[in-house]
Amino acid sequence: MSKPVKILLKLLLVALGLFAVTFTVYILNLDMKLTAAIEPFLQKHYDTIERNRHL
Amino acid sequence: MAKEIGADRLGDLYIDGGKVRRRREWRGLADTMYDYSRWLGIMATLGKFVMKPRNVKAMFRYRWMANYLAVPMMVDRHTQGLRGEYLRICHEEQDLVIKDVAKLLDSLFRGDRRIGNDTEFSKKVVLVDENEMTAVMMGFPTLKCLSRETPSTYVSVLLNQHAAEHYIDVAQEFGLAGDVCPMPEAEAGVSIDDDAPVLGACAIQCNTTCDGSLLGNGVISRRLEKEDGIPVFQLAAPLRHREDDVQEYAAQEIRNAIAFIEKHTGVKWDWKAYFECARRVNYATRCRQEWLEMNRTPWPQVFGSNLALYTETNYMAICGKVPEFERADRRITKLARQAYEKRKMAAKEYRHRAIVWGVQSHFYMDFLVWLLNCWGIVPLTDMLSMVSTRELKEEDTPENRETAIYDMAWLTENMIMRNRTHGGYRVLLDELWEFTQQFNADMVILWEHMSCKALTGMHGMFEDRARDLGIHLVWVDHDLFDPRIISRQGVRDQINNYMRTVMREEPLDPSLEVLHDEESW
Repeated sequence: MSKPVKILLKLLLVALGLFAVTFTVYILNLDMKLTAAIEPFLQKHYDTIERNRHL
Repeated sequence: MAKEIGADRLGDLYIDGGKVRRRREWRGLADTMYDYSRWLGIMATLGKFVMKPRNVKAMFRYRWMANYLAVPMMVDRHTQGLRGEYLRICHEEQDLVIKDVAKLLDSLFRGDRRIGNDTEFSKKVVLVDENEMTAVMMGFPTLKCLSRETPSTYVSVLLNQHAAEHYIDVAQEFGLAGDVCPMPEAEAGVSIDDDAPVLGACAIQCNTTCDGSLLGNGVISRRLEKEDGIPVFQLAAPLRHREDDVQEYAAQEIRNAIAFIEKHTGVKWDWKAYFECARRVNYATRCRQEWLEMNRTPWPQVFGSNLALYTETNYMAICGKVPEFERADRRITKLARQAYEKRKMAAKEYRHRAIVWGVQSHFYMDFLVWLLNCWGIVPLTDMLSMVSTRELKEEDTPENRETAIYDMAWLTENMIMRNRTHGGYRVLLDELWEFTQQFNADMVILWEHMSCKALTGMHGMFEDRARDLGIHLVWVDHDLFDPRIISRQGVRDQINNYMRTVMREEPLDPSLEVLHDEESW
């Protein structure tokens, strides 16, 4: 197998791998499931910030 | 999991009591791949945004920034059940709005004294209200017209139904009335809670629509002027906007606002830029009119939240200033024509043609898609999309410069919501029935925003006229920004009850009738 073909094959495999990972995240809604898990920690953090609350 | 419209049980995607959905929708290979590619694009926009350290810093400073974790889900909610051109129209709009809001956030944090603290940039910033026509900024191309309330409250509630609750509670803790509209109340709450970015050379506030808006602006401007040293101009547009005798006063308010901006920024009004924006506004108006024309036929194309959300953004916040929206208008119109020529439908069955009137529940903007998917009710147009269609002067001549002042005044008077909730009986009541005839509608979905005093007074008159005309009038109560008062299911139940008891119909998709989404974003 020539070198350019090998490079192309590798690039194709990487692209396929990226597609498989990102499509799985997309279709199973994993991005939103992750951010939903993060949100409560952020809310706790906001409660600790000192604020100058007044009218 | 089907390619065909309406073949899926969309309710099965929900997790009972969950914040997010079980999985994304399979729409057939072509549409799923399209939706996936647009999701990748949204991820790239978000990725680009968080690459900047100042934006990450802002994420940890401002409570409302947590809502932006839900951006992809907002798009999923609005694209639910859509295929083909309808899916593409929705993405054209939503993805552009996301990019525009990302730019807005980035600019806010760049100038924010707590975050980026770019003082030179801040001197070029003019703050505007969320619910304000930005026509007075059409001739200031070198200035940045930024709204703090748009990302902190308006967009936040679109992203997360619970986003405003904290700020409503803060405002009430400080003694503001609980029965006032929760939108300005939440905006005031953000200011009281010390959770608004601080930047700008000056600010322009507008007497938007109501007592609540005036209350909110009072609280916000007090802090801006007395604490942050940012001068505020009160643009008081006349409420009786259809009357000839108020137009000179309205025009003078525009002249005063422009003079105020020039004074505080040192930048002069640019007529060339103004007329260029006016040309884009006219183009957007012509496109919207073409979409509405299609919606009068049996094959409506740009309707529901595809019409409502985009019109709100394009008409009021953009107002010709951003060329990307002109390109989007062109693409949307092309898609709509394509679908119209093929006589395509967005749902498997259209049972009722509805005009949606009143101020919509903001925490449930995807209700319009639900109406279509669950009951086959087509929301042909809505009150907030029925805005001015007046052609603005586009050519730069001495006479047109004078007329342009009146055009800007007209736009400001006719900004979204206030052009219907104020201005008299004719704009709110009479024109609704004219629209039902023009659109051949058999149903009116009438939002009753319970904190909106402007509409509640006419309840009985709406009922009388609907009865006279034989139109099905379905009241839907809600409290705009606060789902604790009436939940999303509470909103749906009002439709479900009407459809089952009065219309004696069964839903197109029964899985959507009852959803336990009270905890959902």
